[in-house]
Amino acid sequence: MRWRALAHRFVAVPLALLAIAVAWNIYIAFNDHGIIEGEVRDKAGAPVVGATVIFFERNFIYYEEKQRATTDAQGIYRFTDMKTHIGQLEARTADGRKSERRQLRLWFRSQDTEVAPLIVETPRA
Amino acid sequence: MTWFRRKRTRELALVVCFLLPSLAIFFLYRLLPLGWNAWLSVHAWSPLKAAQFIGVEHYEEMLLDDDMFWQALVNTLVFIACSPLAIAAALGIALLVNSDLRGAAVYRTIVFLSYPLMTVAVGIIWRWLYDERGGFFNYVLRSSGIVDQPVKFLQSFDWALPCVILADFWQVLGFYMIILLTGLQSIPQHLYEAARVDGVPASARFFRITLPLLRPSIFLCIVVGILNSFTSFDLVYVMTNGGPGHATELLITYIYKAGFGQTRFDYAAALTVVQFLLLVVLTVIANKLSGGNAGSLERQ
Amino acid sequence: MRRSPGSPAHWPRHVIMIVVCFLMLVPFYWVIKTSLTGENIYAWPPRIIPVDPHLFNYVDVWYMIPFARYLLNSVIVTAMAIAGSLLFNVAAGYALTRHFPGRRWIVVLLLSCMLIPFQATIIPAYLVTSWLGVLDTWLGVALPLLSTIICIFIFKASFEAVPPSLIDAARVDGLGEWRIVTRILLPLSKSAIATNVILTFIWSWNSFLWPLIAIRSPDMQTLPLGLARFLSVMEDTTGALFAFVVLVLIPGLAIFLMAQKEFIRGLTSGATKG
Repeated sequence: MRWRALAHRFVAVPLALLAIAVAWNIYIAFNDHGIIEGEVRDKAGAPVVGATVIFFERNFIYYEEKQRATTDAQGIYRFTDMKTHIGQLEARTADGRKSERRQLRLWFRSQDTEVAPLIVETPRA
Repeated sequence: MTWFRRKRTRELALVVCFLLPSLAIFFLYRLLPLGWNAWLSVHAWSPLKAAQFIGVEHYEEMLLDDDMFWQALVNTLVFIACSPLAIAAALGIALLVNSDLRGAAVYRTIVFLSYPLMTVAVGIIWRWLYDERGGFFNYVLRSSGIVDQPVKFLQSFDWALPCVILADFWQVLGFYMIILLTGLQSIPQHLYEAARVDGVPASARFFRITLPLLRPSIFLCIVVGILNSFTSFDLVYVMTNGGPGHATELLITYIYKAGFGQTRFDYAAALTVVQFLLLVVLTVIANKLSGGNAGSLERQ
Repeated sequence: MRRSPGSPAHWPRHVIMIVVCFLMLVPFYWVIKTSLTGENIYAWPPRIIPVDPHLFNYVDVWYMIPFARYLLNSVIVTAMAIAGSLLFNVAAGYALTRHFPGRRWIVVLLLSCMLIPFQATIIPAYLVTSWLGVLDTWLGVALPLLSTIICIFIFKASFEAVPPSLIDAARVDGLGEWRIVTRILLPLSKSAIATNVILTFIWSWNSFLWPLIAIRSPDMQTLPLGLARFLSVMEDTTGALFAFVVLVLIPGLAIFLMAQKEFIRGLTSGATKG
């Protein structure tokens, strides 16, 4: 009887782990297009058109510029095929307004992510 | 008659088939290495050079001009000599846990928890505990005001070896405890009852009954402590790699460095022979001291 | 005159044991805490509770090193060691229950082999393995673990406890020897099997010195080697190292907690034999 319980545990735990691993990998397979998208707004909350969003990728200890995108008429930017899991985002406009650098950490490489709106403001002198 | 002999032959063939794989592995990885070590230690040999008999030259070099060997030997002996401290602590814990204490099983599990861990990981954990910036020991010492400058435990010539030994204690304490518990549980209860009826005080009961009957278990603990000086390679490799200088060099790390760092297989073999003899001599002494009825040994 | 559990005289013992357990658990806490710390782990004073705890150190370690590859190597080596040692130990344990000339001699030989620690054989073991041509392979790492003397004796004792009449009956029914082992003896020796599996798992999973010697190429490294390498390459970076440590410790701890009894029995069975 005791042995049956043991066999149960020894079979059940690895199976549960295996199931979790498989489920996790299936989830990854459907969500790893490397799409990072979000909105750029000004302080009043209006979408900013034509702002440049820069993605900085972590390179060991410092962050290095990797890719740029521009916001469309709705103030939305979109990076595709970002093969990374850690980086920073910053929005800049042509008239010198900037957003803070937003730290971005993903659960797996090229996870599709929706970023909370980046707010641009005039940097203090 | 022929039928009988055929059956005997079949039986023998079966035994040989079943035993052969195990015996082959023991031969290749236990017996052959033992002899090969002895052979290598009296030859000058390297993978690129034919063997040449040189007698005891390696041993001469080791004993006369190798300071590192002496340092490693002393450190190994210190390492072994400290193990009775851990055994005594484990005995105390075993006595506490052996009684009808509620929750004894939980305590036992917690104390034993560190034994099955990967030693490399244990080394990294302890290295971090000793760290002068983020480490636990410096945190406790500095925030309680005992020291005001961070102590670099593992970079210090005085502290490095005791620090490694303490980490090793943490890992093997639970194992000593389990061995001693098994020993304690095999002591017949009626001896204690009888002593209690006769009015023997608790301390005398401990020294007259418990300790003498625990001798085989204590012997086993001592042997494990001696073998620990071999298995602590992982710990030393990760925590200090023998440094600072050679303050934490053990014979086993020196063997590794001589063999695979400097590719002096022959010299490393001579070192191994010395280490093995040390193991045998110490085990025999411990066996004598514990009354001569040795239990069989546990590996690793 | 036994006191009932929980009576007043027990509390000093509880206090001592709680202090001991606390001290034993501090290293665990410190490493788990560090692995969850988001801020600079070298900041003074170290926080007892991380200000900004997160799990991303675990994500980092997965990508900073070929973690999956190390894991695969470790799993394969361990699986080979478990399967091989089970097969060989069962066979050898069964053979030793039979009477044959020289049996005593082999038992003595095995018992004395137990005295030779593997660490004392590394130089020739390396040469033997390179002579066999399996250096830098999974088999080469698993080979020395394929047969363990303690487990042979555990199986021998377990098989001897089976009533001989049962075996004789099976033999009369015409079962072959290997079938007798697999059909009759093994189902009655499950606890011995569990002990063998657990001990081999722990030894193989934790083994460091032998893979360090037997493995040369980076993509054959097992988890302990990967850990040591990670430490030497980037010790001064983040909590990722400690996340690695925690990840590596989990399987061993899980196995131990699941099968504590078998594990302890296996370790002490060498001790109780006279």
